[in-house]
Amino acid sequence: MRNLRAWFLRLGGLFRPERPDREFSQEIESHLQMHIDDNLRSGMTPEEARRSALMRLGGIAQAEENYRDRRGIPVLETLAQDLRFAFRMLLKNPGFTVVAVLVLALGIGANTAMFSVVHAVLLKPLAYPEPDRIVTLATFWKATAHQGQVSGPDYHDWRHQSDAFESMASYNHWDTSVIAQPSSGATAEYAHHATVAAEFFKVFGMSPAVGREFSTEELKPGSAGAAIISYGFAVRHFGEASGALGKPMRISGKTLAIVGVMPLGFRFPDKTDVWIPEDAFEAGYTSRSAHNYKVVGRLRTGVALQQAQAQMTAIGTRLELKYPDSNAGKNVAVTRLRDQMVSDVRLTLYLMLAAVGVVLLIACANLANMLLAKAVGRTREIAIRAAVGAGRGRIVRQLMTESVVLALIAGALGMALAFWGSRVLVALAPADVPRLAEASIDGRVLLFALGVSLVASLLFGLAPALQVMRTDLNTALKQSVQRTGDGSLADRMRQALVVVEIALSVILVAGAGLLIKSFVALQDVSLGFQTDRVLVVETSVPASDLESARRATRFYKELLPRLRAVPGVLDAGAIGIAPGNTVSDGGYYIDHLPATLNITAPNAVFSVVAPDTFATAGIPLRGGRDFNDGDTYDAPFVAVINEALARQAFPGQDPIGHLIFCGLDSPNPMKIVGIAGNTRQYGPARELSSEIYMPYEQHPQPSTGLSLLVRTSMPPAAIITAVRERIHEASADVPAKFTTMEALASENVAAPRFRTLLLGIFAGLALCLALAGVYGVMSYVVGQRSSEIGLRMALGASQGDVVRLVLQQTLVLAGLGIVVGLGGAAVVTQLLSSILFGVKASDPLTYAAVIALLVFAALAASYIPARRAMRVDPMIALRYE
Amino acid sequence: MGDKAGVWQGTLALMVLKTLETLGPLHGYGIARRIEQTSGELLSVNYGTLYPALLKLEQEGYIDSEWGQSDNNRKAKYYRLTRAGRKQLTKEAQEWGQATSILARFLTPGEEQP
Repeated sequence: MRNLRAWFLRLGGLFRPERPDREFSQEIESHLQMHIDDNLRSGMTPEEARRSALMRLGGIAQAEENYRDRRGIPVLETLAQDLRFAFRMLLKNPGFTVVAVLVLALGIGANTAMFSVVHAVLLKPLAYPEPDRIVTLATFWKATAHQGQVSGPDYHDWRHQSDAFESMASYNHWDTSVIAQPSSGATAEYAHHATVAAEFFKVFGMSPAVGREFSTEELKPGSAGAAIISYGFAVRHFGEASGALGKPMRISGKTLAIVGVMPLGFRFPDKTDVWIPEDAFEAGYTSRSAHNYKVVGRLRTGVALQQAQAQMTAIGTRLELKYPDSNAGKNVAVTRLRDQMVSDVRLTLYLMLAAVGVVLLIACANLANMLLAKAVGRTREIAIRAAVGAGRGRIVRQLMTESVVLALIAGALGMALAFWGSRVLVALAPADVPRLAEASIDGRVLLFALGVSLVASLLFGLAPALQVMRTDLNTALKQSVQRTGDGSLADRMRQALVVVEIALSVILVAGAGLLIKSFVALQDVSLGFQTDRVLVVETSVPASDLESARRATRFYKELLPRLRAVPGVLDAGAIGIAPGNTVSDGGYYIDHLPATLNITAPNAVFSVVAPDTFATAGIPLRGGRDFNDGDTYDAPFVAVINEALARQAFPGQDPIGHLIFCGLDSPNPMKIVGIAGNTRQYGPARELSSEIYMPYEQHPQPSTGLSLLVRTSMPPAAIITAVRERIHEASADVPAKFTTMEALASENVAAPRFRTLLLGIFAGLALCLALAGVYGVMSYVVGQRSSEIGLRMALGASQGDVVRLVLQQTLVLAGLGIVVGLGGAAVVTQLLSSILFGVKASDPLTYAAVIALLVFAALAASYIPARRAMRVDPMIALRYE
Repeated sequence: MGDKAGVWQGTLALMVLKTLETLGPLHGYGIARRIEQTSGELLSVNYGTLYPALLKLEQEGYIDSEWGQSDNNRKAKYYRLTRAGRKQLTKEAQEWGQATSILARFLTPGEEQP
């Protein structure tokens, strides 16, 4: 208590130093006078009295100093002093300050920007109540450890047999056709919609901001159903949320009343705008091998994830025993929702954060180097300060203050850079990174930047401070100019720092080199189809039963010739799934259907296509024929297989004429009439898959939503308007979404491109900083050794010898750095192996290139210092000695 | 509690408090002289230490100060014991007494226990 009171008073003393100072002088003065009075009374002469009193009092200045220390808080006062001094020093060397601040700001800014992304995507809790209790439940395929969608009956058993969950809901989601205000005569547009089970919103702890959830009646099969829409969608189409309530809306060809609007920000799953009850419209899948759902759940309070997982594993095992035909090898995986959402990007983001951290380390090493050089230049100043009584700690504190001030200025500038950099990162990143749009500079990110700045200041401020600790006062004062050779501690420290810089940049450059090589390999993979000048138009025709589905295929049959008639169109086709979108796949059987279907049958991707699609997409036919207008619903069923399937199922035989069966929509036998080339439509890094193409007219139900492919003789964008008109002429109910084959192919490699670009930039930065370090040290060394060089020249060394001398020293430093760096890279690049394609983490060619690049760069960086050494005039250099 | 680290400063504070208790309000010079006299001139008070110690006691609230007139009409700062100071004095005096008696037992010869 007493202590606290004293501290407050002392703290107060900091801010009004003058008055008490005066008061104290008065007190001392009166003390002195009383002493003199006493002395006089004891019979001294006035002069004697005064002298004796003064002597007894001792050093007034010392007393005042003690008094002042007690009154205020010395640490804070010297801090203020140090701050003032630090600012003065920084202003005195504007060149140094600007360079240092810029280098550091770049490092801090890049780190902060990267952290803002990592924070938004990986660290920030989901914006739902108690988000840690929200989990996903997925089918766990034991053989591959792969997690997948869930079958309807499995989901019902999970839900009814478990008690670890407060709520559980299945859902599915895809783009569908909606008309927000059908009465206004508007045409259909695409909206992301989700069909959800009863407890879906409860799992997230959310309820509509306006209106209500689905009623029990609306959730029942065969009911009229209802729709809940997102806040943004409501505002966009109805002006305000409450304006949407009760309005009818057309969704996938059905008219539903809007009963609720979710709060702003709730868009799960993905970017959903419309939610409808799943049971109202879907027959409810009854097969345990049709995995059509995703499942989310909310853990009961107090139930740990492991407990829930244990319970679900037990249930999964029970189902395996009970339904071996469909459930053998299948269990349940419970994952926290956030972890599940970001599992794909976690490695990439953490790698990038680490890489950018290394860049900052190099920047710090550079700065430490610059400050060391400065500290050596300031040896005399520091020695004088020590001589007049400044303690070592005091001097170190002052140097550290300078570093901290430097770091904080750079940190502030870095924040500005991060604001911008964070936006650039969001723009560069693949579009499907979840929660990326939430990346922003908030309090947590600011705190991170502050922390990074302070840690950085410690890192680069420590070296010069250490150097000062070791400085010997006497020698420092005696020497007029610092003339240490390369044996001094500072010089060794500087060279060690450069070695570290080179080593760190070797690691980054090696990583970047591997990614670049891997990316080039990805680009070189033949996709098997043409990507330029092909417009892709996603469309879907509302349909609910076979009859309406057949109407939908007739819509396409009439539309395609009209598209071919548009000027500039060379060819047009249609395919069930545009490259890169979700696929339908399953087992297939050759020649005859077995009595019992087993899940071990070989797998193939199922595609429905229109005639001429192969030609439009540039997929070559290897044999047989393409589909034609004669392959109608009533004609004999036919199929085209790809080469991979031909190789898998017909080794050494001609597949044409054989029958093939698959479970797309009917078990009808299909005669194989053609063989198409392989395509890598899901990205160049994917394995080739077997594929069965079927004529869309023979499979109307999976063919109500097709992607139109339009090959053009001009840039595809030029004909978008014409194509849109043709579609809307044919039906106002059909929404159209436009993209190009090129854009789709590019999306497939968006993630590797992002990684490669980012790491490339970081490695480039690292290399530049390391080179600046080499340049700085070599310039310094040449300066230090100029008299030695002069002597050598006077003794007959040629200019070539001198240059060789400098380059040799550079090579020693670079060589050390490269060796250390290669050792580090060999370990670190192992982390990359899972994201490399077509190149091993230990690729010798890459490493050779990295070594060559670093050696060349280091030599280039020491070129200017070497030239300076060459020009040393022996006469001048020797005169200084 | 005050600073225990410096024994000298600790005892100085105790002497100051005791002096103020005995003599009532007094200026710094008077306190110093009184301590020196009481010690039989064995102690010499370093003024560079005295004033910071007075300031510390004042900051801790054990003493008060105000400007007044001395006997020979000089303006001087007078220090006065506060109620908290009185309590602190009793406590510290007790502790000090205990400490010295313990030490005395150690230092008195011939009383070691077998």
